[in-house]
Amino acid sequence: MRAVIGLEIHVQISEAGTKLFCDCRADYRGLEPNTNVCPVCLGLPGALPVVNRRAVELALAASIAFKCSIPKYIVFTRKHYFYPDLPKNYQISMFERAGGIPICKGGVVTFPDPSTWEWRECRVRRINIEEDPGRTEYEEGGITRSPYALVDYNRSGVPLLEIVTEPDLRSPREARSLVEYLMLTLEYLGVTNPRLEGVFRVDANVSIEGGERVEVKNIGSTLDVEKALTYEIARQTMIVKGGGRVERETRHWDAARGVTRPLRHKEYEEEYLYFPDPDLPPILLRDEMIEKASKLAEESPRKYFEMVTGMMIPKDLAWSIVTVKHSALLFMKSVKLGADPQVAARIIAVDYKGELRELGRDPHDPRNWPPPETIYALSKLVTENVYTYDAVKGLMLPKIASNPTIDVSSIVLEKAENLESIIDEVLRAEEKAVKDYLSGKSQALNYLVGAVIRKIGKRAVDPRAIRRAVEERLRKT
Amino acid sequence: MRRVRGAWELVRDFREGVEDPVEHAYKVLGAIRAWEPRVNAFISLEAPELVVEAAESVKRRIESGERVGRLAGVTVSVKDNICTSFLPTTAGSRMLDPYISPFNATVVERLMAEDAIVVGKTNLDEFAMGSTTELSAFGPTRNPWDLSRVPGGSSGGSAASLAYGGSDVSLGSDTGGSARLPAAYTATTSLKPTYGLVSRYGLIPYGNSLEQISPMARSVRDLALLLDVMGGWDPMDSTSLKVGGLDTFNSPPLDVGKLKVCVVREMAEGADPIIESAFWSILERLGSEGAEVVEVSVPIISKALPAYYTIAFSEAASNLARYDGVLYPAKGFSGVWEEFIAESRMRGFGREVKKRILMGVYALSEGYRDEYYIAATKVRRVIRDEILRVTRKCIIAAQAAPILPPRLGERLDDPLKLYAMDVYTVIANLAGVPALAQPIGFHSGLPIGIQWLAGPLEEGRLVSLGTLIEELTGLSGVIAG
Repeated sequence: MRAVIGLEIHVQISEAGTKLFCDCRADYRGLEPNTNVCPVCLGLPGALPVVNRRAVELALAASIAFKCSIPKYIVFTRKHYFYPDLPKNYQISMFERAGGIPICKGGVVTFPDPSTWEWRECRVRRINIEEDPGRTEYEEGGITRSPYALVDYNRSGVPLLEIVTEPDLRSPREARSLVEYLMLTLEYLGVTNPRLEGVFRVDANVSIEGGERVEVKNIGSTLDVEKALTYEIARQTMIVKGGGRVERETRHWDAARGVTRPLRHKEYEEEYLYFPDPDLPPILLRDEMIEKASKLAEESPRKYFEMVTGMMIPKDLAWSIVTVKHSALLFMKSVKLGADPQVAARIIAVDYKGELRELGRDPHDPRNWPPPETIYALSKLVTENVYTYDAVKGLMLPKIASNPTIDVSSIVLEKAENLESIIDEVLRAEEKAVKDYLSGKSQALNYLVGAVIRKIGKRAVDPRAIRRAVEERLRKT
Repeated sequence: MRRVRGAWELVRDFREGVEDPVEHAYKVLGAIRAWEPRVNAFISLEAPELVVEAAESVKRRIESGERVGRLAGVTVSVKDNICTSFLPTTAGSRMLDPYISPFNATVVERLMAEDAIVVGKTNLDEFAMGSTTELSAFGPTRNPWDLSRVPGGSSGGSAASLAYGGSDVSLGSDTGGSARLPAAYTATTSLKPTYGLVSRYGLIPYGNSLEQISPMARSVRDLALLLDVMGGWDPMDSTSLKVGGLDTFNSPPLDVGKLKVCVVREMAEGADPIIESAFWSILERLGSEGAEVVEVSVPIISKALPAYYTIAFSEAASNLARYDGVLYPAKGFSGVWEEFIAESRMRGFGREVKKRILMGVYALSEGYRDEYYIAATKVRRVIRDEILRVTRKCIIAAQAAPILPPRLGERLDDPLKLYAMDVYTVIANLAGVPALAQPIGFHSGLPIGIQWLAGPLEEGRLVSLGTLIEELTGLSGVIAG
């Protein structure tokens, strides 16, 4: 069944440093409840909002990256609704039809389909900057039945981008790809850290032929975007096939059970009493701010992907490099130093990443990666035939992964000395084989090389180099 | 009627050792003790020993030759919708009783940094919504000039405290005349600054786009002194103008021969004949001194009152949404959240506040917003343009109040009459221009005031004109009793 999907994505501008209208921290995670608060984000009487320019700059960078038309100035509006974790009982947002001016109108996100490597387009209707509410925890049964609620305002006032797409998506898989790529792009721009818990939420509008539009709220991961939409399309398809009608409604994604469920029906129309916030005069987007934001907007996963594939790196390998922002930067720097692109790509995209996985280290943490000089040095060892790639991979990458700042020359030396003594040891122990070889039985060499490799251990080594070293050593005796 | 010296003279005399700030503090505390039971100007008072202690500290520092601030030893009363961390801030509402703000308003910080002594928080109509100071959860304030009458509002407590000598200067707030109307009713003065000249940080908002914290005093020079201390850019208020280094106190005297006064007909007509005659007689005096007095008409002003109230109520409905009993003193609890907040708001807000919230909600609702709120903001724009066209040429003379101070209860039953008391004052708020109110006479012991409007940031001109008027009328530093 053909589906039409549009998304509304809320992403925290987690890299803005402070909240949208005060000096509290934008990253509230791991803090004691209600310790990241002040009169402004608690909405105390008499406190006034002052916009965080960095947040606007980052939102502007996103708008430029998505080719939006940028207004001369932006205007914040108030959106009113009563909720315990919304301390002013209004949210500061940018509602267009009541005098608000959003930071982006009419843009487009270009995102790849990883199965075909084709670039698709999804139009962006608009991007708002708004504040996140606090967090409410209910004892049981939600807002209507719980005997009490616990409210934590640490998140209150954290800057959000609300990105609304046109209904240009056709499958759950495509929707997921869009969200993944969008988040990656925002990471490249320096807007957000996609891996922070709860850093983004997705609401999806989905309809199938002959049915009304259904909104699915509360989707918290890219995987769930695909799951929730798949479920919802199947549900709608069943209704239509059964001769029923899909009604227009709002449903809630229950991630634990993997189903969407209807939200309580509203007895009245929503009425948000929008109007421009009189505490926040229009904010001019000055040329210097646009310039700074444009600079940020130059970074994109696509740009790196194209640079990497331009070096004849296979697309899946290039994608693996690009999906980890730091590894893409590292790759480009290493190549610039003179590293061989093919070698650097194999190290970064496959084998070093694999070592990190084995050690349980986060590949997105730059501290877990070596400097570009290391990649360059390793690449040189391979291209100058000092070692085979497998030797580098087997002998050196594990050591670097457990100590990324280690000096490459130190592990190269260690290995060489080690090899000499291991060979000596093996030759001493294998007197018979040595004698056999010296008496002309050339297959004894294979046995000795094998013994050395066994002695070195399970790690992959360069058998050719060992063969050369053993031959050399035997020639001397 | 008695006369007292201005705050600026007091500071000078304290510094020169001619006057004792401690003695002065006792005098002010004595007036409060004598008058408060009848007037009810204050909602909360600072402990007398702390007031005396502060005065002693000023005295000590003067004696030891230390630098003291520009308001050293001056007692100040602060309207109770301006946040203080050392006294409760109720906004005259049960909803915020008791609420103690964790921070001081910027203006309070600036006053205290200049060694002013806060003596207490003054009464007001709940959330500044009213023109008589009868609509407070803490009872009405009475006019010291006639205890059967109101002091005007909503800054009636501040005006009354000045009128009986319970403070030397005061901080009021002016959303549509809330500081100027009480000034006119109590023979005191008030200057509503250009929008954005004074930080609103710490002012509990009623109509954010209209209001300014306003100095109140018994003389125009005191207003200037206060304004110079409290005004200027504040990074905590996005609507604050980037100006600093105010020196309206030393505004050059006015060359009356070059003065041009425009009487805007719509802001002069319709007042009580007694007030009209006082108004025209002071303008004649100015004319005989050499000023040019001309009459002009700004017809759009007939739309000012509905535009003003539509904007103010809309903003109020929004601002007051936060009072739901969750973060502020809970007023009731029924176990169900929706019912809990409904009950908190039902019990916490007074009738007038609820009425204004409902009207504001209506004006902002889908389907009505264009007709009401948006239409009102368009009228505001036109009024602003028209007023600026006039103030570019002259200072505007206008009535401050259409009637003499009414008796308690007299205006309350008719909301339209209550709202009509603001007809002359709302113009300055809609246009964002500065406006000065000052006394020009008395009738049967009741004060009569006048109002002057100038262009944006022309506070200095108003101070010069106001000082000239004081010289003509002799009405500065007067107190009741």
